[in-house]
Amino acid sequence: MKDIMRVKCLLSEEVETLINQQIKKEAHSSSIYLSMASWCNRNGYDFSADYFFKQAEEERQHQLKFFKYVLDMGGNAVSPDVTNIKQEYNSFREVFEEALEQEISVTQSIKNIAARCHKEQDYVTLEFLNWFFREQREEEYKARRAVELFDVIGEEGTGRWQIDKHVGQISYDSEA
Amino acid sequence: MQKTKELSFPVASFEEVFATNSGAIFQSDSEKCWYIDFAGKLARFDYRNLLKLKKAIYNVNIEEKLLSSDKTADVEIIFICACDHSYVLSLLELIKLKELLQGTFVMLDLNHIIYDRLFRVIS
Ligand SMILES: [Fe+2]
Ligand SMILES: [Fe+2]
Repeated sequence: MKDIMRVKCLLSEEVETLINQQIKKEAHSSSIYLSMASWCNRNGYDFSADYFFKQAEEERQHQLKFFKYVLDMGGNAVSPDVTNIKQEYNSFREVFEEALEQEISVTQSIKNIAARCHKEQDYVTLEFLNWFFREQREEEYKARRAVELFDVIGEEGTGRWQIDKHVGQISYDSEA
Repeated sequence: MQKTKELSFPVASFEEVFATNSGAIFQSDSEKCWYIDFAGKLARFDYRNLLKLKKAIYNVNIEEKLLSSDKTADVEIIFICACDHSYVLSLLELIKLKELLQGTFVMLDLNHIIYDRLFRVIS
């Protein structure tokens, strides 16, 4: 009896399900960043709004990268429902704190996929995930640096205006 | 797994993947598909449709249906998009089909492991 299941698809059912959950998570991230861009724009933080527009675009690209991988491997990529996007924030600082939390939870869920891949020796998917681990280094770095600006610059006086100006200049260029 | 050969059609060879008292699932290597003998009919499922059927059956909350005191009919309609077959099943039949599918997927997994270990690895 032929192994038809394997011939049709490289991914195990479990890994396929986990990646589909990740697709949803990236789509959710993209929407959250868009909502953050809206909030920043409405409150006069133009540079931060731009920063979040770019992040929203990046998350969309991450979503598509996972999506195409599942299809390329013969699996079924599921276009996700995205609901419950928070639209209001209590403060400028809260926006960045939640952005950092979001990135941390993304890193964690990709680690979870990798753990499953290790378990079933799916080195093909593991190698694919490496790109995302590198990306998360940058994502967490940038989000953490942004939150730190609130302590380094301080919010008093023209502080928030200064913070906004610096957010656009955060970049990660480690070659390591 | 027992090989059943049809005398009149020597090309089509089926292998029984799993069987219970209420039905059986066969695999056809040449057609790359499965035949489900259940509820009085023999239905052909390709790879995508077999997975869709599995999902549809596994997603029914049997426990909830057993405990429900609704006066609605005790029947589940299993309809699969772009598939020629659908099932109208009583709760008992649903449980039996699920059992049949579970056994089938265990056997397919086992077959996959055997292929990986015996035929795909240079020893
Ligand atoms: Fe991402
Ligand atoms: Fe991100």
